[in-house]
Amino acid sequence: MWYYEKRLQFPVKITKTCPKTAQLIISQYGGPDGELSASMRYLAQRYSMPVKAVGGLLTDIGTEELAHMEMICAMVYQLTKNLTPEQAKTAGFDAYYIDHTAGIWPQAASALPFSSVEFQSKGDALTDLTEDLAAEQKARTVYDNLLRVIEDPEVREPLKFLRTREIVHFQRFGEALEKVKEKLDSRNYYYFNPEFDKSMYGKTPASF
Amino acid sequence: MEETPLAMASVPVQKWGRRYDDAKALEQGTIFPDLDKPFFAAETLYFPGKCQEQTERDRLLTKIRQTGFVLDDLTLYLDTHQDDREAAQLYREKSREKEQLMGCFAEQFYPLTRSCAAECDKTGEGFCWLAGPMPWEGGCDHVVL
Repeated sequence: MWYYEKRLQFPVKITKTCPKTAQLIISQYGGPDGELSASMRYLAQRYSMPVKAVGGLLTDIGTEELAHMEMICAMVYQLTKNLTPEQAKTAGFDAYYIDHTAGIWPQAASALPFSSVEFQSKGDALTDLTEDLAAEQKARTVYDNLLRVIEDPEVREPLKFLRTREIVHFQRFGEALEKVKEKLDSRNYYYFNPEFDKSMYGKTPASF
Repeated sequence: MEETPLAMASVPVQKWGRRYDDAKALEQGTIFPDLDKPFFAAETLYFPGKCQEQTERDRLLTKIRQTGFVLDDLTLYLDTHQDDREAAQLYREKSREKEQLMGCFAEQFYPLTRSCAAECDKTGEGFCWLAGPMPWEGGCDHVVL
């Protein structure tokens, strides 16, 4: 069950129309390392997590990612809401405009549509948490790249906020991985799948 | 001390320590200075929101945002540090503070959640859930941090 809180996690108020910037930022909505992808990844992985606290963390981070998705969409919306037909011809945004006018639709900066192919739910806690660590780093790199090329301070401030969140989430997923490892034999973490082979907990690898 | 096992990722577990105040935490994106790792190309002295003509509504919304963010960041910390009493105590305090602020906001302006809607419907003049600007419109008229 989810409830909506009618405010953004971090304020977004962009006064200057810029379809080019919108076309870059939209990647963090529907791109491979975007917030929608992040949210769906964590909210999908949580069900079969063997450690309760890790399922809880995936729920809470997955929920925060929805709030980040809302911030990104608000940015794309504000960057294009007063778009003139002339501005719509901006290289990079023109093709998007033809398909969606100034509507908000999840795609990557490269125009690749949003797809669940971009994330995994592998049914193995070690695998999924390692993917989550990588996912946070990939998203951070995207924010680094955006911050290098975007100059408008009204756009940069929310991007900086979102970038820091990626680092905090990385730390938490690292701690979650430690929690899973505590349940396993450090001599061979790969003796069985901690999410599937439940009867194997506590059994020692034969080779030791 | 056991040797660190090979072929496995490892991240040190964070210890409870220094915290930013609520306003600074929202500006930086975390309540923990230890996790605040800025990017060289993002160093700037600009903060959006240092806007002079703040209305009472903006100031209250800013307070809600700051308190709400402390709770967001604390939640994730507590997910992996369930036995940290100091953090849990702070969570309780901030949680009460936020609830009170949300109630005030609903009474004076508009509801931010459906459960707050009861606070502003006392006049019986219909349902107020849709009152106030949509957040993607910029939320408040002047952005404040």
